Amino acid sequence: MLILGWVWGLLFAPEDAVQGNSYRIIFLHVPANIFAQMIYYFMSVCALMHLVWRVKLAAYLIKSAAPIGAMITFIAIFSGAIWGIPTWGTWWQWDARITSTLILFIMYLGILTLHGAFSNLEKADRLMSILVVVGVVNIPIIKKSVDWWSTLHQPASISFSGSSSIDPSMLYPLFVSVIGLGFTLISLGILNSRFYIYTREKNKRWVIDNV
Amino acid sequence: MFDLAFDSINEIVNMDGHGIYVWSVYLIAILIIIVSFVIARKRIKNFRSKIDIKNASS
Repeated sequence: MLILGWVWGLLFAPEDAVQGNSYRIIFLHVPANIFAQMIYYFMSVCALMHLVWRVKLAAYLIKSAAPIGAMITFIAIFSGAIWGIPTWGTWWQWDARITSTLILFIMYLGILTLHGAFSNLEKADRLMSILVVVGVVNIPIIKKSVDWWSTLHQPASISFSGSSSIDPSMLYPLFVSVIGLGFTLISLGILNSRFYIYTREKNKRWVIDNV
Repeated sequence: MFDLAFDSINEIVNMDGHGIYVWSVYLIAILIIIVSFVIARKRIKNFRSKIDIKNASS
């Protein structure tokens, strides 16, 4: 689906009247940003589950999702920077949307570093969960940054509830790209969490017998 | 909606001068995603062989 969305967007969607062909980066940039934020929401739900009900698996999922979150946030920032060169004339601007997304990237790295800093893994799980819950405040800031501040970054073009300001010929491939990237990241998440669960439970009989 | 937006391969590659930006972004992103999958698979494979060795020795 990801390949279908990208081929459709890159080769078949019409050229943008203002930005020309550089707008085609949107089929990567927007899905990457959506998942950069959604993965963090997922992690914060897991963090609450770990802190409130002490669900071990929830902490394992955070640890497995954080590198994917960091990767996709990097892609989001990188694709935005390259898109900025022909469109804005600059690859970087300390604009509210870009800066808050950079903070999200640093949060992902911070979560991984914090977890790696402790030899007591139960303690690491707990502190990591606390950091994830504290950091969730950044996500609505990213979302609303283009409305709250006057930024170089344009306001949202697509909306799930209201009407979108982009033409269906561009919106449909974008929608397919979002779903395609979603499936890709879920399968990567399954692989990562499988490995991490095995590693943490490596002395258990079920791992030794079934791996 | 399903008409090709370009007339030739050259146009697809060049994209009116924007091709370098568009294609480099997609290529690097695809590379990062593929490398992530390769690492994830390799880690599981290594773990499996470690457990096999452990099982064989015990």
